[in-house]
Amino acid sequence: MNTNEGRISKISSMLKNKEASCTEITKKYLSEIDKLNGELNAYVNVTPETALEAAAAVDKKIARGEELLPLEGIPMTLKDNISTKGIETTCCSKILKGYKPIYNATVWEALKAQGAVLLGKTNMDEFAMGSSCETSCFGGAKNPHNTNHVAGGSSGGVASAVGGNIAAYGLGSDTGGSIRQPASFCGIVGLKPTYGAVSRYGLIAYASSLDQIGPITTSVEDAAIVFDAISDYDPMDSTSQGKKQSAAESLKNPIKGMKIGIAREYLEGIKDDVKDAVLNAAKVYEELGAEIVYFDLPALKYALPVYYIIACAEASSNLGRYDGIRYGYKTPKYNDVNDMICKTRSEGFGKEVQRRILLGTYVLSAGYYDAYYKKAQNLRGSIVKSFRGAFEQCDVILAPTVPMTAFECGKAVSDPIETYLTDICTVPINIAGLPAVSVPCGFNSKGMPIGMQLIGNTFCEHTILNAAWQYEQSVGADIFKSAEMGVKL
Amino acid sequence: MVTHEDILQIARLAKLSVPEEELDALTKDMGEIIEFANTINNASDDGEEFDNINNLSNVLRADEVVPSLKSEEILKNAGDSENDHFLVKKRVL
Amino acid sequence: MKYEMVAGLETHVELATNTKIFCGCTTQFGGEPNTHCCPICIGLPGTLPKLNEQVVNYAIRAGLATNCEIPEISKMDRKNYCYPDLPKAYQISQYDKPLCLNGYVQLSNGRKIRLTRIHIEEDAGKLIHNHGDTYVDYNRGGVPLIEIVSEPDIRSAEEAKEYVEKLQLIMKYIGVSDCRMQEGSMRCDVNISVRPQGSEELGTRTEIKNMNSITFMAKAMEYEFSRQVDIIENGGKVEQQTLRYDEATDTTSSMRGKEDANDYRYFRDPDLVTICVPREKVERIRAELPELPDQKLERYINELEIPENDAKLLVKYRKVAEFFEKASAGTKAPRTAANFIIGQIFSILENDGAKEEFDIKVSAENLNTLIKLIDDGKIKMNLAKKTLSKMLETGKAPSELIDESDMGGLDESALDELCRQAVSSNPNAVSDYKNGKTKAIKALVGFVMKNSRGKADASAAEQKLIDMIGRM
Repeated sequence: MNTNEGRISKISSMLKNKEASCTEITKKYLSEIDKLNGELNAYVNVTPETALEAAAAVDKKIARGEELLPLEGIPMTLKDNISTKGIETTCCSKILKGYKPIYNATVWEALKAQGAVLLGKTNMDEFAMGSSCETSCFGGAKNPHNTNHVAGGSSGGVASAVGGNIAAYGLGSDTGGSIRQPASFCGIVGLKPTYGAVSRYGLIAYASSLDQIGPITTSVEDAAIVFDAISDYDPMDSTSQGKKQSAAESLKNPIKGMKIGIAREYLEGIKDDVKDAVLNAAKVYEELGAEIVYFDLPALKYALPVYYIIACAEASSNLGRYDGIRYGYKTPKYNDVNDMICKTRSEGFGKEVQRRILLGTYVLSAGYYDAYYKKAQNLRGSIVKSFRGAFEQCDVILAPTVPMTAFECGKAVSDPIETYLTDICTVPINIAGLPAVSVPCGFNSKGMPIGMQLIGNTFCEHTILNAAWQYEQSVGADIFKSAEMGVKL
Repeated sequence: MVTHEDILQIARLAKLSVPEEELDALTKDMGEIIEFANTINNASDDGEEFDNINNLSNVLRADEVVPSLKSEEILKNAGDSENDHFLVKKRVL
Repeated sequence: MKYEMVAGLETHVELATNTKIFCGCTTQFGGEPNTHCCPICIGLPGTLPKLNEQVVNYAIRAGLATNCEIPEISKMDRKNYCYPDLPKAYQISQYDKPLCLNGYVQLSNGRKIRLTRIHIEEDAGKLIHNHGDTYVDYNRGGVPLIEIVSEPDIRSAEEAKEYVEKLQLIMKYIGVSDCRMQEGSMRCDVNISVRPQGSEELGTRTEIKNMNSITFMAKAMEYEFSRQVDIIENGGKVEQQTLRYDEATDTTSSMRGKEDANDYRYFRDPDLVTICVPREKVERIRAELPELPDQKLERYINELEIPENDAKLLVKYRKVAEFFEKASAGTKAPRTAANFIIGQIFSILENDGAKEEFDIKVSAENLNTLIKLIDDGKIKMNLAKKTLSKMLETGKAPSELIDESDMGGLDESALDELCRQAVSSNPNAVSDYKNGKTKAIKALVGFVMKNSRGKADASAAEQKLIDMIGRM
């Protein structure tokens, strides 16, 4: 069995052993982007100057014989909703085309300081609202395992780039599954950290109480390294707390006696191939000495509408600021200020975004607030409590990431509710603010990857990544199998 | 039931203009989404108000001045600006 | 039928913090447009607010100074409305859990104006309209405000005036705001309705927005009162609406546009966390409160025996009251210091603003020294007044202006000598006096005073001169 080797430590050791310079590796990535991006549509903005400048600095450091930090010189990408000073950040929306932030998101500031090499900004559903990446104003990113299929969403571009190895790793954001779902579709690893573990400062908000930035990588170890690097307390974000424990340090701990829970509700309405793959993983865990416990989580029943009500309410408020005055798109013709604002927004936002703004406005408006928003908030409290109860019975919850594998391009956008249903397994985690990692657990008959989630208690990233790493070691590169494309290291 | 009037009213609040020809389809879509949201009506909750996810409180900042940015920076992304102000022309036809 | 006014005020007060409510930009007034701004206060995508602790402390201080309760739990909410002066399209404010509840302010007629609440929120930017074009400056955007909401307990424009003045004074005393209405750091919205005298029902109210002068607020209320009474007396109905007051024509008119069909869709701001106010904190802030204007007034009248009208003048300006207390400290009669301030010092301060600023060259310590010289009988009132005049001009200390030789009273023989000189060198005055022009004695007293450099006791000198001339 081949073990799945992480890219970060691989590139790091190549640099250390002077097998290749950082500039050479970066150029390799840039040239593969050139070749493949037309097909994958992963990047919406490639930044060769920024990348090569950073690479040159790393090479100088190597020449000086200095020690490299874990992420130093590693070519990577950021989802296009993470603010990068002087580099266009659009959320893949017409309304933000041309917008160049005048400040850096805290995560980017942190990675930059650690010598990260930014290859470019990647594709996403417009304002992270979607599950296929197809609401992007640049068109959807494609799945590296089969480009007739979507990469998933909303962080589809990052997953496509990392899955297709035109980035070693990337940062996405996850509001209702936007890291885990595309990671699952593309057969790679996606970690949604605990709410508050990673700073949101500079992440262009979709739903503030649910959004969280996290890594998309090809190995569990890579995810742990990146998580450790971005999860410091940030005074700029009032909801930031930072990690409680390093994830990389406890990665290799034995999991004998670990209790892995399966909620029966999580297996309902799941496609058979997905369900089978997840239950096979449970067997692997048993072999590793973990104990599988089954329980009920009835509160999950209302998670999806609760999610859409809260997310859309917050979005309707967060997206009010796009009025054409201070940044972004401004309609060319108008009669007065109010007309300018309405036209700018109607022309600048895509259909799905407008739909969610309308729903959010509706559930907050006079006469409806109590029945929708307040009720949803109360139910959110109940969901939080049920998870708390679940973690009294187990250490980690095992569940599918998505009820199905990546859909074919163009199949997702037609029916909004049908699309919303694909988020059923991922949204409860955001509602409860928990950490969850999606890792590959098999392929369907058509060779499309299947993913499973390991869900942890708050600030227990180290526990779920430990469980994920042990699984990865035991199934190896047959399951953690990247698409055959991109940079060969 | 969501009516055309409801949609137009929330669109006004949300500062979105709904073209006449899209009103039917949008009303239908919204009706379905709201129907979906209505499923929570049957759910029982303990009536306890949800605070914030990690029950944080008193995350405060000391009252110390941090230098502001130059107005050129502040105005950098504005479509229109004049004399260090953001500008919205009365009308553009 | 007689009608009475029923009014409630929403008073916005800008807090005198160093920085804005959610970012580190300065709150300084003025500055070139858009130079007191950062990504946070212009609402750039991805930015997050962080609450300024001093804003919370100041609001609690304001609440305690106006007899409010301070609930243990408070939170920040978003008030959603879209307008170019509001960069995020929502104002971060407080909806159902404000920092302060249920206070009151007592008027001089004994009536208590109840306060519903005091909450904290951010100010909007400034719009300048020029030929229909709109120019936006966000320097004021994010400056912290408290909104003080009263119950509809105000019954006249006079009461409204006193209420606002009182709030203004309290806020200045406790140091949370300079309350400069002309700079917009204090402004009021007035909710006003009328009802037949004796009725307990509330009539339909109108709201007059953005009053930034107490005088004009009173005028606007009087105008609006008679407008509503006219409507009712003519059988009409008052329409609930938002009004703007036009100072030039002294009328109110309806405001349209911005207020159209507002539905603010308040909800808890997910970017900010709960505010918990431990009881110890409340008590600490309470203990730190300075003496408030009402308490001061009472003390001045009852303990310091200052006449009520003078006491009011002293208390009216925080700096004056502070100066008075230092100047009168340890003196025999605090009234002396009061008299110097109200008589001599106020005469060089032309208006209210100047008294408010109280920018004078004399330090309270120097005035205190001067008064103690009087108390000790070392100088007479006359010399003291002259010295104070010089102090006001030069800022010098009494010791620099009064010769050592001038200190202490004049002894009997010196006074005798001066009186003899006065008589011998002013024969005309002496003969005038002898001829029955009793006023002529004043000229002789003046001579003595001048030549004693003010040290002589005027009445003693007068008696001695009369005796001396009588013996001639």
